Amino acid sequence: MSNDATKPMPRINAINRPFFAACNDSELRLQRCLAPGCGKHVYFPRVCCPHCGGGDLEWVAVSGRGTIRTHTFVRRPQHPSFFPDAPYHVLAVTLEEGPLMYSRLAGDVPEDADLIGKAVRVVFSQEAPGQKLPFFELA
Amino acid sequence: MSPGYEGVYVVGAGQTKYEKRTEKTVQRLIWEATDLALRSAGLGFKDVDGLGVTAFTLGPDNVTTMTEHMGISCRWLFQGLYGGASGISGMLQAARAIQHGDAEVVVIVAADAFDVASHMSMNRNPGQHDYMGPWGYGAANGIFAMHTRLYMKEFGATPEDFGRLCVAQRENAMLNPNALLRSRMTMDDYLNARQVADPLRLYDCVLPCCGADAVVLVSEAVASRLSVPKLRILGGGEMHNYPAEDIFGFSAGWELFRDRMWSTAGVGPEDMDFVQLYDDYPVMEFVQLEGMGFAPRGGAGELVRKKGGTVRDALPINTGGGQLSAGQCGASGGMIGVYEAVTQLRHEAGDRQVPGAKVGAVSGYGQVSYGRGLSASACVLGRE
Repeated sequence: MSNDATKPMPRINAINRPFFAACNDSELRLQRCLAPGCGKHVYFPRVCCPHCGGGDLEWVAVSGRGTIRTHTFVRRPQHPSFFPDAPYHVLAVTLEEGPLMYSRLAGDVPEDADLIGKAVRVVFSQEAPGQKLPFFELA
Repeated sequence: MSPGYEGVYVVGAGQTKYEKRTEKTVQRLIWEATDLALRSAGLGFKDVDGLGVTAFTLGPDNVTTMTEHMGISCRWLFQGLYGGASGISGMLQAARAIQHGDAEVVVIVAADAFDVASHMSMNRNPGQHDYMGPWGYGAANGIFAMHTRLYMKEFGATPEDFGRLCVAQRENAMLNPNALLRSRMTMDDYLNARQVADPLRLYDCVLPCCGADAVVLVSEAVASRLSVPKLRILGGGEMHNYPAEDIFGFSAGWELFRDRMWSTAGVGPEDMDFVQLYDDYPVMEFVQLEGMGFAPRGGAGELVRKKGGTVRDALPINTGGGQLSAGQCGASGGMIGVYEAVTQLRHEAGDRQVPGAKVGAVSGYGQVSYGRGLSASACVLGRE
């Protein structure tokens, strides 16, 4: 169990290890379906393609660009380890390749900003010892 | 028309005291609500041959070990894994079992001994824990803040639109002795409350608490021996992971089964004496009102403006105050509306009774994963 000072980090497993390992190399990598006629990108990491049901997925680097679908300004995080960071903007980003990724906004943006539809690009933040995570900044 | 639920009767309901904290275990709460529901039906534990349980904090116990715990032998069991959609889902599945003779007396119960701390530390599914949690997403408040903001932008809804429903539910809660929040709340109180995750404020969010709700469903043969009001499931449905490819589509599937539900029931939204919605957040109540056909898409705010929401209004909504004002006992949030609907239809709702209530709708929603609830359910209940 984590103590209050340690941010809850993902449970790394055989399904998601390539994603979180790539984050530590400051690279955004997603799964992509190899089925003929599908070829869609997949996030969050899956054992199969949720678009076509195919079982062959490869890991590919993606652009790191996207647009904000919606967002919130979190004043009370779900875990005390985030209290020193709060308040901050939490984002739902539609990546250029299709999937939706939840993240946080990097950089200073007013708390009441309307960010829906704004273009963003990925940056990486060292959120815990041994784990960088993708954040997004306004493009 | 789809096959209905003929030959199945809802003959009892029970609700424990809702408390902010308790020394009671979740197993005890399950027993209490079950006992109250069976007593309200005129039945006892030895009559039960089917059990459905939903509780986030029950593990490593489960529905099967609960039969052992309570000393009942069952030939039909259900464990709700659909969060706040589980109660209605369990009722609909129990009704099919009863119709086919696989059970005669089924208790569907939900409970949790939840305080704010245990709510924060609960073990969450991968969608939330691994792909939202590390970014400090703010748990359910953060998720539904994002839905609320997008809904406001797309449909022009205002904070007052959501506030009107929250204020109406508080008025209902003031008439419910078991509601935890019973002091009057004005629109100013709502709008000036502390912000939690913009645009959500304090009174858009439920109060985690401890308690349990239960209902009893029986066969026609059993119902004929009981001297209690007989209620029927007139129609219903459920849907999971819909739409698969759009998390922010303001839907969880109610519009897919609503036509079947209403046609089986032989009534429509305009005939309802009340509706009990899954009110984890007011935006989801709007989505349910629209999904079930009470209002067109984006039109729930106007519906509440025109038809109210209090028990004295044209469309009473969450007549006991709902989770927003009565409290959310974890998984029991999926049963508070069922308990309230049965109590209204039995005409046992006291000061908050909707006069002459004969038919009402209940909806459920839950299993929040990657940014939304995956499960939707609803049913129409009527008094014979």
